[in-house]
Amino acid sequence: MAGSSPSDQRPLLVEARQIWKFFGAIAVLRGVDLTLKAGEVHALLGGNGAGKSTLMKMIAGLYRLDRGELLVGGADASAMTPVTARQAGIHLVPQEPMLFPSLTVEENVLMHVPGNYKELRARLETMIAEIGAGMTLSTQAGQLEVADQQMVEILRGLIRDARILILDEPTSALTPREVGKLFERIRALTAQGVGIFFISHKLGEIRAIADTVSILRDGQVVLAGSPAAFTDAEIVAAMTHVEGREGFTLGRAAAPAERGPERLRVEGLAGEGFADVTFSLHSGEILGLAGVVGSGRTELAETIYGIRPAARGRILIDGKPLAGHGPRDSLDAGIVYLPEDRQVSGLFVNAPLVWNASALVLHRDGEWLPLAKERADFAEQVKLLGIVCASPDQPVRTLSGGNQQKVLLAKCLAAGPRVLILDEPTRGVDVAVRADIYRLIDRLAGEGLAILLISSDHEEIERLSHRVLVMNHGYPGGLLEGADITINAIARLSFGVGANLDAAQ
Amino acid sequence: MKLHPALKRWESVLALLLIAEILLFGAINPVFLQPSMLLYATSDFIHIGITALALTLVIITGGIDLSLGSVMGLSAITLGILWVGGVDIWVAAVAALAVGTLAGVFNAVAIHLSKVNPLVITLGTGFLFGGAALVLSGLAGATGYEGISNFDPAFVNLANLEIVGLPLPLALFLVLTVAFMALLHRTRFGRYVYLIGQNPRAAAYAGTPVFRTLVVAYALTGLMAALSGLILASYFGSARSDFGATALMPAITAVVLGGTSIYGGSGTILGTALAALLVGYLQTGLQLVGVSSHVSSALSGGLLVIVVALRSLTEMGRVWFQHRRVLRNVAAE
Amino acid sequence: MIIRFLQRHREASVALIIVLLFAILGLVDRSYLSFDTVLLVYGNSLILFVLAIGATMVMATHGLDVSVGSIMGLAAVSAGLLMNAGWSIPAAIGVALLVGLVCGLINGALVAWLKVSAIVATLGTLGLYRGLVHLLSGGSWIEGLPEGFKALTKAGSLGLSVFAWLVLVLLVVAHLGLRYTAFGRSMFAVGDNRDGARLIGIRVDEVQIVAYGLNGVLAALAGVIFASQIGFIPNTAGTGMEMRAIASSVLGGVSLLGGTGTVLGAALGAYFMTSIDSILVLLRLEAYWNDIIAGAILLVVLITDGKIREAVDRLLRYQKYRKFIEPPAAGHHADAVKANSLSLKTSEARK
Repeated sequence: MAGSSPSDQRPLLVEARQIWKFFGAIAVLRGVDLTLKAGEVHALLGGNGAGKSTLMKMIAGLYRLDRGELLVGGADASAMTPVTARQAGIHLVPQEPMLFPSLTVEENVLMHVPGNYKELRARLETMIAEIGAGMTLSTQAGQLEVADQQMVEILRGLIRDARILILDEPTSALTPREVGKLFERIRALTAQGVGIFFISHKLGEIRAIADTVSILRDGQVVLAGSPAAFTDAEIVAAMTHVEGREGFTLGRAAAPAERGPERLRVEGLAGEGFADVTFSLHSGEILGLAGVVGSGRTELAETIYGIRPAARGRILIDGKPLAGHGPRDSLDAGIVYLPEDRQVSGLFVNAPLVWNASALVLHRDGEWLPLAKERADFAEQVKLLGIVCASPDQPVRTLSGGNQQKVLLAKCLAAGPRVLILDEPTRGVDVAVRADIYRLIDRLAGEGLAILLISSDHEEIERLSHRVLVMNHGYPGGLLEGADITINAIARLSFGVGANLDAAQ
Repeated sequence: MKLHPALKRWESVLALLLIAEILLFGAINPVFLQPSMLLYATSDFIHIGITALALTLVIITGGIDLSLGSVMGLSAITLGILWVGGVDIWVAAVAALAVGTLAGVFNAVAIHLSKVNPLVITLGTGFLFGGAALVLSGLAGATGYEGISNFDPAFVNLANLEIVGLPLPLALFLVLTVAFMALLHRTRFGRYVYLIGQNPRAAAYAGTPVFRTLVVAYALTGLMAALSGLILASYFGSARSDFGATALMPAITAVVLGGTSIYGGSGTILGTALAALLVGYLQTGLQLVGVSSHVSSALSGGLLVIVVALRSLTEMGRVWFQHRRVLRNVAAE
Repeated sequence: MIIRFLQRHREASVALIIVLLFAILGLVDRSYLSFDTVLLVYGNSLILFVLAIGATMVMATHGLDVSVGSIMGLAAVSAGLLMNAGWSIPAAIGVALLVGLVCGLINGALVAWLKVSAIVATLGTLGLYRGLVHLLSGGSWIEGLPEGFKALTKAGSLGLSVFAWLVLVLLVVAHLGLRYTAFGRSMFAVGDNRDGARLIGIRVDEVQIVAYGLNGVLAALAGVIFASQIGFIPNTAGTGMEMRAIASSVLGGVSLLGGTGTVLGAALGAYFMTSIDSILVLLRLEAYWNDIIAGAILLVVLITDGKIREAVDRLLRYQKYRKFIEPPAAGHHADAVKANSLSLKTSEARK
């Protein structure tokens, strides 16, 4: 159950009033109000880009606020640095472990911690034993599993006797048993008056541990209060743009009258992070690939595309196995992959738009660049996809998220794919562009493309897919067809409740 | 005052600085402005410019080549040894060029095999190639300072040969500048160079032939370094293993001053060429004015520091101003 | 097993190579295998030792300083000019060290505050400082150094000169300091993960600047030792030493990317580089073999290192994904799935 019943006489550890923060010209926080009392566990919920991590980094002194007030322990903290934040007793456990890979666990945890070294070391040893983590003081941090790395980050906070602890998605890689132990620690700390910010996307955990919950969306707090006061539905509604979707007039994708010829066939494929995957994909068909983070979908896609090695199984395109295993071979065979992380793996953010658009097809026209043709082709794509840009030479990073995604799509389409693998195609994209992309996907399928759609957005999967394959912890969790495709069914299978394993052929 | 977009580019700034520099030195010592002076002064430094052209490609890909000075010496010694061994001077020259190219390929392969930072690998190959040059020259009985001499006069004359009124090395430099410009900006290979430097991961995802591109880039650097070594051999009339010992830093200076980012992903050949001339004439001009050549190299070093520091400061300032502007806009709402 | 050990403890590998080198020497002439030879090489390595300590510190923070050769020259010339002008030896050396400190701090400010890339910044200062050398010396060599100064590198107690003892103490202090003090460890932290270090509360910029500053002081010391050893100060004092210093450190296991390395390793690397030279002389082989041997060994070490690291990474990946990559234990997962679907059917039936 939630922590001890809140008494309003507890001192305020953190008070944030109307906080604004800009990155460049984009407002990431638009007037956020937040408080944290001593002994309170305050959970933060929100989708990607809602501003949770930015807000917490600000409290930890890594970012400066642009407008608004921030008080820590009653004192003005608008000019805080990591050093002064530390002195004020604030410790941030980041979402992605930021350890020193070449140093040992001991060095990582005890680095820059004031106090008697021997005592601290002894305390650390006890803590590791209590938590039951499978590591020793002298293990090299770079060799640890992500879950263990996260545990080391948490240990860093625990050893410092922080007064304000910020945990950014601390349980994403922990086993249930480890989560239980963590919560025990959290309760022990709050009993001593420590205030804890707890960022998570898991409703169950929040209900179990948090006294207060604040939901952020687009840089503002849209809902706040005790978790017990809201239903799951209300919370989910607050987090997503449910209203925004009324603009869609698209109904559910109808199953194609007849499926075209088989384009892609995967048999018993196993690789880094998944196994036993078998399915076939036909021309004109949209196969949704659902599952929670860590279910192996992107790894599967990257293996089909040739970025990752395949350990077992076969990949057949138009009935024939691929000539080689690498992106070039896949592209030659007509398989195109739109990466999940467009800024890192998909786009050259500082390069001109037209360079990005042609990146996959440079090998087609000989050694001399057909510059005029490149620009003409790009102009066509701009019209086709509705890309909003001032000039083909502007760097990609100057476009909005939605337009960047369109450029990425243009790049993939320019290669003339027969099988298109889309990995989170509408992540970080605004409502209007999202509608454009849905229309595009439907049209592409209508024109005969075979599409594998990876998405964590269950509504999206439901709306677009003819069939849905759900992955669960790396294994196929179930297949849904036609009327069976509902958000509930997708969610249940993603979490492993119930399975329907008819062959996904 | 709205500036024409062409004026805003760094190359234009360099060109203006170059003209200003020449005029300034000319004002101090009018001898500087004589055409023959301007043209023949380049023979002192143009070999660095030639190497810097190819080095630009390597640096744009995000790499670097610290061995180019050693390759210069190695190619000169190769020429010398073959000549002393009775080989026709032109054949020996071609062989020297081949050696340089192979050295570049060796660099690329070593980097690819070890997946180690190009800085460190080319540091090692720098010792290797330089050491090879020393050994060869030692075996041939030439000491470091004497070098191998008595080349075929036809070869030695090359440095003084005139083509359309320009000394041959300068003419070569101009032709190569145009050639590299075409290579970098107009060919598929050049586009790959930029893409690899900007985002190696995205380049891999896009099926870009990374290894092939890098091999060509490093091979070209080796080839140009070898060519520079030959030019020096012709100019001095002898081949010494320490040719190029002081070429590395000026070459990198020309590339960075020319606008190429040391981290890769951006840069132009024209910028490198202009910067090479800028720095080269700076040295010549200072010498003419009576400053010792050693001090003038200090000034080039200082120039580099000032330019990059200023660039960094203006970038920080720009970000700061933009931030303030955004805040003020929001406050107005 | 052994490979893992050697990889983790590069110092051991380098020590092994040095022993091998001496063994080869001994095969040629047993009389060379004496403590005197070891001392001889040690004496010749003093400069490189000092430079390698500085390089280790700077590289630990993921930095680089190619201007140390010029700082050497500048410090040497400063000391020489002062001594010839009548200053006392300690005072002259003190000023030289100060000069080195200032040069190093300038480097550090460029890299940490102005955010200029280390290669470019120190490339520029390499030229700048070297030019100052020529300016100060007026183009001529500095000669006529006081005997007391030159005596500092003449063998004294236990066969070691004053400077030789100093360097020994320095090596021990630096090694222990980098490994066991908070500040030393924070240098590695900054290089290993700059953002992570900032998150922990380490003043990243200050650490970097101090590293460069100390490197400058050490380069100055190296210049002073150089002057004392050869007895005069040429304009080219120090040229090319930065490459040797970096090569020594890399050989000794200091990573260019920061985060790893020890002063002991760098010192062994420096000793190795010098011993090639000395041994060539003793074997009466021509000195021109030095560079190519050093280069070949450096490359072999680097490529092997890279390959081993690649193999370790591959092994880790395999372990991480093992349950997917290995052929499944027959039917294990399928059973679990069937059990799930059964429970779904029953729970559905109950509704």
